[in-house]
Amino acid sequence: MHGCLTSCGVLPGALNLPMPPLAATEVGSYAPVLLLIIMAITFAVANVVLSRIFGPRREGNIKATTYESGMDPVGTARKRFNVRFYLIAMIFLVFDIEIIFLYPWAATFPNIDHSTDQAMIWLARIFFFMLTTVIAYIYGYRKGVFKFD
Amino acid sequence: MIEKLQTLWPEITLFIAACAVMIVGLSGTRSIRALCTPICGLALLIATFLSLGGLGGVDITVTGPLPVLASYGKAMVGVIGVILLLLIPGVVDREFDAAPGGPGEAPQPPRAFEAIRSNTAEFHAFFLFSLMGLMLCAGADDLIWLFLALELTSLPTYVMVTISTARNRSLEAGVKYFFLGALGAAIFLYGFALIYGGTGSTNLEAVHASIVAQADAGGINSITMAGFVMAIIGLCFKIAAVPMHFYTPDVYQGAAAPVAAFLAFVPKSAGFFAIMLLTATLGWSFGASGTELPGPVHSALYIIAVLTMTVGNVLAILQNSIKRILAYSSIAHSGYMLVGIIAGPGGGGGADSTLSRNGLSAVWFYLVCYGVMNVGAFAVVASLERRRADGTHDEIDSVADLRGLCASRPLLGWTMVISAAGLLGLPPLLGFFGKLPLFTSGVGAGHYLLVIILGINSAIAAYYYLRLAAAPLLESRDPAESVGGEIVESPYRLRTAAGLISAVGVVALALGLGGPLGSAATSVGQSGFAPSYVGRRAADRSPAVIPAAAHTVDDEPRDVEPAADGSVDGATIESDGGPPDARFDHAR
Repeated sequence: MHGCLTSCGVLPGALNLPMPPLAATEVGSYAPVLLLIIMAITFAVANVVLSRIFGPRREGNIKATTYESGMDPVGTARKRFNVRFYLIAMIFLVFDIEIIFLYPWAATFPNIDHSTDQAMIWLARIFFFMLTTVIAYIYGYRKGVFKFD
Repeated sequence: MIEKLQTLWPEITLFIAACAVMIVGLSGTRSIRALCTPICGLALLIATFLSLGGLGGVDITVTGPLPVLASYGKAMVGVIGVILLLLIPGVVDREFDAAPGGPGEAPQPPRAFEAIRSNTAEFHAFFLFSLMGLMLCAGADDLIWLFLALELTSLPTYVMVTISTARNRSLEAGVKYFFLGALGAAIFLYGFALIYGGTGSTNLEAVHASIVAQADAGGINSITMAGFVMAIIGLCFKIAAVPMHFYTPDVYQGAAAPVAAFLAFVPKSAGFFAIMLLTATLGWSFGASGTELPGPVHSALYIIAVLTMTVGNVLAILQNSIKRILAYSSIAHSGYMLVGIIAGPGGGGGADSTLSRNGLSAVWFYLVCYGVMNVGAFAVVASLERRRADGTHDEIDSVADLRGLCASRPLLGWTMVISAAGLLGLPPLLGFFGKLPLFTSGVGAGHYLLVIILGINSAIAAYYYLRLAAAPLLESRDPAESVGGEIVESPYRLRTAAGLISAVGVVALALGLGGPLGSAATSVGQSGFAPSYVGRRAADRSPAVIPAAAHTVDDEPRDVEPAADGSVDGATIESDGGPPDARFDHAR
């Protein structure tokens, strides 16, 4: 491996791969983005409408208050939280870190020549990494982080 | 990078085992939880095998400051890790274990297992992570790698200290250890940053090349020198040397004895590996004789070594707690080992190959000896506990608790006697053969004063080591002393086994089985840099830098070295007669 710039996909031209266009000049190339926006809006609207049509309605004072992740929205914000929130945050970090590493990997991997050993090593490496996060999840599960009594 | 990955199989093995024990250790079934220790042991043995090159043997053709340290350093960690592992059962989660049934032990029903209150999985995983960091340290070839490896070694130990007992003294020890550890890490990290600033690279080979170039140009950059001195002072925390030694007795006393044994070996080895790598990067071709480290680093190490030996030994005399004595003894032993670092590989460029002349070989050899002897002493403390009337247990602490041990429990008693005599360095035992190369390498390098101080300190040490040996052997137990509770043997018999293994090792390794160990030590001390370093430097030096008339007649190349040293030191610049403008190379 010769230095990160060439092999991490920052300069794919150095590996004799077709350089992807840096800026889309045609309107048509934005079609996937448009599709994504339409899907997002449709999903949100459909959920609200469908739950209003089919969902049961039980009104009440507490239900009408602002949603604050289960905390009482009135009063000081500086009060004690259940320690379980801390554990949930720790488990969230596992997946957060996983995404941080997966995203650059996924952006880089297509630029590596897939017929070489190097590509296999890159693939094996990310599977190893994902295995460790899965183990962290299993560890949290067995530790009882997700048990709410 | 792929080649680099292939040297990391021992670490990868430990990592996989650490992941496994994190799952296995949380099982609700006691017999499955008990698998943690065998898994760790198996992983350590496999890692040892892999670090010795598997069936292919050790590859000694690699380059770097100390290329063979990666192999034998990792192997040493694996073997002593197994002995340390035997002490681990029963440190945490004792209330969930059925007591294995010691003599006179009232059977206590174990509590129902609660995963959230259990620490077995974490403790074993941290144990392996820390050893993994130590192995990475041995194979480091880059300052960033070295820093991460040192931190991977230390961070788990902070947690291990804190959870090792349920008492407040462990919390106090953990907090002290963590904050002082962070201070030490900050200091050596700043040193690493200055080394990078002064040489333009974090790779140790490139740093070495830059230092050679700077020395040839008239003197090592002052930023580089400041970086090396700061790095070594920061690493004094890891090896428990003056001026960063203050935490040692409190932390060792606050932690459970198995964890204290771990602390006395693992972070200390990591610190010594790092110091060996850094000083080998500098090279021993400076000073008046051309066989010393560059002036500031030499002076700093000299002062640290003398103070560390003396402070450790003198303060150990005043202690009554066994763990505090062993903590101060750990400080003193760091001072002894620094003598080997100061002496260096002998012959300036590392061409001298015997264990008796090579200070770096001596340091590695002494680390192995110290690890074996030290585990024995701590294993005895871990194997004995005071049982109170209310059924609670506490470790023994005072030297008086050892009285009459050879009569009442011969195995433990004699383990203590052998370990203490070994640590003292009595001739037929391992400690003597460990200390001998430190003396001879010091004499070989011409540091007579340092060797005399080392000898005096070894004599001072006799006072407290003989106390540790005499209490079990010669004194008898006073029945009035069992007021605090009866002293019983720990139900975790593996601890006794660890002590026994170490006692056997102290005798057997000294009785000729240490031959392969000696040749391994010899190859560890070999520099991976070009051996013609000194001669080449002198030959390449421009005539303008060579002091013309200040020296007495001596046309050997080595004797022109003071120009480089004096130029850095600043104190000898006038007597050397070197040109003042060549003092520091600020070209960068």
